[in-house]
Amino acid sequence: MKKIQKTTLRRTVQLLFLGLFILTVLQAGYPFQPWIPPELFLWADPLAALATQIAGRFFDPVFLIALLVLLSPLLFGRAFCGWICPLGTTIDISDRLFTKKKNRSTRRYRPLKSILLITIFFFALLGVQISWYLDPLPILWRSLGIFGMSFFYLVTDGILSGLYDLNLLTDTVLNLQDSISIRFFPLGTPTFTNLFLPFLIFITILALRKISRRFWCRNLCPLGALLGLLSKFSPFQRIVAEKACTSCAVCQKKCKMDAIEDDYIHTEKSECILCLDCQEDCPTDAIRYGFRAPLAMRSATDLSRRSFIGAGIAALLGTGFLSLSALNPHKTDRRLRPPGALPEDDFMERCIRCGECMRICATSGACLQMVFLETGLEGLLTPVSKYRLGYCEYNCNLCGQICPTKAIQPIELAEKQKVKIGTAFFLTDRCIPYRLNENCIVCEEHCPLPEKAIKLKEEEYEDLATGEKRLIGYPYVEPDLCIGCGICENKCPLEGEAGIIVTREGEERYRL
Amino acid sequence: MDRRTFLKSAALVTGAGMIARNPLLAAKSAPGVVIVKNGSPREMVARALEMLGGISQFVSEGDYILLKPNISWDRRPEYAATSNPELVAAVVRLCLDAGARKVLIVDNTCNDARRCYKNTQIPEYAEKAGADVRFVRDSHFVDTKIPGATSLEHWLIHAEVFKVDKIINLPILKHHSLPGLTIGFKNMMGLLGGNRGRIHRPFAENIVDINRVIVADLTIVDAIRVLRRNGPSGGNLNDVEEMNTLIVGTDRVLVDAWSARIFGTDPESMDYLKLAHAAGMGEIDTHKFPAQQYNF
Repeated sequence: MKKIQKTTLRRTVQLLFLGLFILTVLQAGYPFQPWIPPELFLWADPLAALATQIAGRFFDPVFLIALLVLLSPLLFGRAFCGWICPLGTTIDISDRLFTKKKNRSTRRYRPLKSILLITIFFFALLGVQISWYLDPLPILWRSLGIFGMSFFYLVTDGILSGLYDLNLLTDTVLNLQDSISIRFFPLGTPTFTNLFLPFLIFITILALRKISRRFWCRNLCPLGALLGLLSKFSPFQRIVAEKACTSCAVCQKKCKMDAIEDDYIHTEKSECILCLDCQEDCPTDAIRYGFRAPLAMRSATDLSRRSFIGAGIAALLGTGFLSLSALNPHKTDRRLRPPGALPEDDFMERCIRCGECMRICATSGACLQMVFLETGLEGLLTPVSKYRLGYCEYNCNLCGQICPTKAIQPIELAEKQKVKIGTAFFLTDRCIPYRLNENCIVCEEHCPLPEKAIKLKEEEYEDLATGEKRLIGYPYVEPDLCIGCGICENKCPLEGEAGIIVTREGEERYRL
Repeated sequence: MDRRTFLKSAALVTGAGMIARNPLLAAKSAPGVVIVKNGSPREMVARALEMLGGISQFVSEGDYILLKPNISWDRRPEYAATSNPELVAAVVRLCLDAGARKVLIVDNTCNDARRCYKNTQIPEYAEKAGADVRFVRDSHFVDTKIPGATSLEHWLIHAEVFKVDKIINLPILKHHSLPGLTIGFKNMMGLLGGNRGRIHRPFAENIVDINRVIVADLTIVDAIRVLRRNGPSGGNLNDVEEMNTLIVGTDRVLVDAWSARIFGTDPESMDYLKLAHAAGMGEIDTHKFPAQQYNF
């Protein structure tokens, strides 16, 4: 019975950390009074810490938390992967729920993750941060925070709205809807563009189970590879009593990580995630886990010189390719970054696409959106303000408060209210007063500045056909007052493109 | 004064008193607007309702009341972009004390609702007083035909509007560049869904049309702090003037007209008031229909 307790303990710990992770996701709301930092797991992520700090050439003491995780293999190998990593836990859960596929050996793909890791580092040395593509923690954060929460909202709000329409449990329904609003989303349905790409990445990671258990962790996860580097020195390890072993191969067949050598005695420590399953499964109780002097042995994460050089060349070519395909930020004027964002290059180097800013954005599921290729290949999935979907709330500075890598700087509200995101321009071919000579003023009415940046120039208009005269307020923008918050573009009553748009003209980025 | 004149006037006074005491007659025949000044929000609204014949004129035992303050903007109360929270709470208490079963407060806000509901402090005060404060959602609005509409044939209107017994409108008097002022009629836009920017064109016709179907039984205009410029969103304390005044009444047009007068605008210059008057929704002439005034 003792053995069962150990894997139960592991599962409990896994679920606790997954729960903690979900709690960090739930912290990102309004009012923003977190009792656990929502960035906790991302600050503890050594891959993100190294890739952003190397690529961005900066040091942020908050990433010292990641050092703990980075050095943990010196004691406990890849226990992080087996016990803590919430994506690993998600994979394990989906494994139990959805599939009874066979567990194949995938040993020949093992070096892939190390090649990916070393490529990420070469890129970072050249000043480009690509770790976000494969970093499990930002992947899970945005998966839960963006589409996970959106689906949750759609389903619960759908059910509750149905009950409201039927006049059932009206008070209870309204109470529940309001508590969901307060905690998770404001009014209306969250809208996120380009969800398919992060969704595809997440689903692919789970679907790789078709090939083997934890295929992602075995062969692709660069964070796993990074932790595997030091794991070979781990004194805590799988110990097999050779005399008791009957070579039944149960442990090897079931191993999540395919970490057990063909003699069933030796373990590939850079692969073993110390899940303790084999200890439980062994029919002769030959396996235990304990401390033993680490024998430095060849690790599966060791790279051949060829792949090392290959990764270097790939990074060189890739960086070149990215810079050749980069868009000129001064000419592609509609890519508005949130207030407090660093200059474009620094911003890209730091943004790990965790989705925290989009999640907490006051008009959540509307203003800050993941872009596809609009900001160049390098800008894939970075946050951009889409004012036709949402606008930047004048009294909100939360995107900067929550950004784990400070790609968006945590600026004070008073300062944020002065940061120029861009400038608004009237499209007089579309704008109602200019085009139809009728009063509208919706943009002017919403302008949040103490002295409105949109003003009205009153002129008498004479209808030539009827001879009727009327006073029309023609709106115009005072460019020096406008901060480009975009509420004018958002609230413009025209269908489709607004009669007023915000461009990057006059944009101010935060300079370090 | 001779005996005949005395008897005549005595009869008139008694008759007038009887009419005034009869809620049905009083509410319909003599459109009363009262203006109360220089008290606390609570004193002023209590006094105003007393002058109109008491809260029982408007709220009956077991009524479900929809109270519609302005919670539209993410501004603290002192910016005078949203209704005074103490006033809202006072009205909630009066309704509940008069036997109302439930007082519902909703507003479809312009800024993020969570922020508006927090920073205007209205939900905080109103809930303490016993009101049910709710967020609105797309699914709460029903597409409603507007009978007699001249411009807006149908629009999305909050479903509770049709479930309540009484509607009390509690707007704040503010500058607004389109009608000049935003008072009671425009405050009803907070019960609408959909692309509300469309309502601005043609503004007067549309705003009158929505008030054909959303009929406030009582309008209490908050002119305690008044936003004189840069309305309706404000944001500059220099634009706020302390007027410490309430304008209260049942005639929606006359209440707005008197509020405009207090602000310093000629009601006859406001298109929607002229239209509403022409449509028979109430009186516009502040000279013909003087307001009863009370000064603390």
